[in-house]
Amino acid sequence: MNPPAPTLRELQHAMRRSLLEGVNEEASAWIVADSLDADERLSIYHNTFAGVLRTALRLAFPAVHQLVGPDFFEGAAGLFVVQAPPRNAWLDEYGAEFPGFLERLPQAASVPYLADVARLEWQVNLVLHAPDTPPLDIGRLAALSNVAPAQLHFEPHPAVRLLRCEFPTDVIWRAVLERDDCAMAAVNLADGPVWLLVHRTQSGIEVKRLGKREWHFTAALFSGKSLFGALEDASCDDARTVLATHLARGCLADVSVVPSALAN
Amino acid sequence: MSVAVIRAQEVSSPIPVNAGIGLRFRHHQPVLDRRPTVAWFEVHTENYMGGGSAPQYLDAIRRDYPVSLHGVGLSLGGADGLDAAHLARVRGVVERVDPGLVSEHLSWSVAGGTYLADLLPLPMTEEALSVVCRHVDEVQACLRRRILLENPSTYLCFSHSTIPEWEFLAQVAQRTGCGILCDVNNIYVSACNHGWDAMTYLGALPPAAIGEIHLAGHSVRQLDHGQTLRIDDHGSRVAPEVWALYREALKRFGPVPTLIEWDTGVPPIEILIDEAALAEAALERQRHESTRAYAA
Repeated sequence: MNPPAPTLRELQHAMRRSLLEGVNEEASAWIVADSLDADERLSIYHNTFAGVLRTALRLAFPAVHQLVGPDFFEGAAGLFVVQAPPRNAWLDEYGAEFPGFLERLPQAASVPYLADVARLEWQVNLVLHAPDTPPLDIGRLAALSNVAPAQLHFEPHPAVRLLRCEFPTDVIWRAVLERDDCAMAAVNLADGPVWLLVHRTQSGIEVKRLGKREWHFTAALFSGKSLFGALEDASCDDARTVLATHLARGCLADVSVVPSALAN
Repeated sequence: MSVAVIRAQEVSSPIPVNAGIGLRFRHHQPVLDRRPTVAWFEVHTENYMGGGSAPQYLDAIRRDYPVSLHGVGLSLGGADGLDAAHLARVRGVVERVDPGLVSEHLSWSVAGGTYLADLLPLPMTEEALSVVCRHVDEVQACLRRRILLENPSTYLCFSHSTIPEWEFLAQVAQRTGCGILCDVNNIYVSACNHGWDAMTYLGALPPAAIGEIHLAGHSVRQLDHGQTLRIDDHGSRVAPEVWALYREALKRFGPVPTLIEWDTGVPPIEILIDEAALAEAALERQRHESTRAYAA
């Protein structure tokens, strides 16, 4: 007597185990096998699953791909996609955990800056696809010139990210993508750490190096602290200039006035 | 939402009954630079969900061309239910693009909160039919418009299936009021892979529900024992057998907006324009045939 047919959910979870874990038995039991057996039929779907996701990672991490070479990248990405598959079909969002995965990958240990390059590429990817929010209008800030700094809170533009890297990752990233062997040979890993601001401009993505104090002040400001609170956290001699630069570059999306008693 | 309400929708730029082209990223700049004569473009919904340059390119192209949205990630056949966040993203793209048509697939791709990055086959059962119909209803209610459902290409069948795929698809259209995106290449690929009769498939689809036709290339894999498996890889020109089946489809359905798709090794747009010209010629012949038949 045949076992009862699986429910749709049971069958789909069996297919999921086949695609992610290579456990085919449960799904195979319900697949018609004639000229091609069930495992081979399932392998067609597995190949598409893995291929689509490897391609998504290659597009999001082009410098990592270039650094380690296609064979290593395909192998690492192949391991990653079954360990950390995406949660939805918006694949521009897929790959946040790839830098951490590379950092823990023993075979990648000989390239100490690899995870940093991946982190930078992930921030670039986020900035590339961030929402098209209008930047803060300078007129709005001018209208708040009498408000105490302790009550002014800024919201960063979604297409701006901050990143600290142990190594001179911005230089490595550019050299790799531009295939500039001379620049790559000139990299001195001891030149790190670097404090970076990744920003989408009209012409593309800009990765700008900030001073350490400037970066910490910006990070405090972007975290929601008031202008006064950010200055307390990270004293910055030229905070006024830093703020003006962020404003001019469209790095801020909004400003709000929060009475000090309510701000935390 | 009732079918009548869904059909009452009006779009500002409907898809014309002509041959269109699947627009991919490498075509963005050439299209804006050269404004080629193309009747309409179709894009993958999931490629335009965020901000930045891709949706800006599409906005610019949309100003001059009708555009349809073709989704791959709603998992309409998923037993776990629709992902509300993904549906909201789809709605966001629909509102931004104001497309002439919106389509998705008769397949599933999400289980246990994991996106499995393929259009996976459904068992053709009453349970699956009920799930797909419920989800098509939910999507049409959310988007406030009729969608088209595309027949998949498949490489396996489930032994507990009880409904032929063509009847399943016709049933979904009848119960939900959705239209059908008839992928002629997929019919050919699945018919070859499973020993179905492609003409039976075409003959079972309700002509009034056909809102669009897809054409693409496929590859042929040689198996042991001299058998073959056809893979829907969208990586070549449309096969002669698929052109022949397309002409049969037009005889049954009349002229229908037709799309040339190419996703593997995407060529310059000129190649796609060549393929679209062949589809346009077939549409034109069918228009003459239909006019003659009407006059007689």
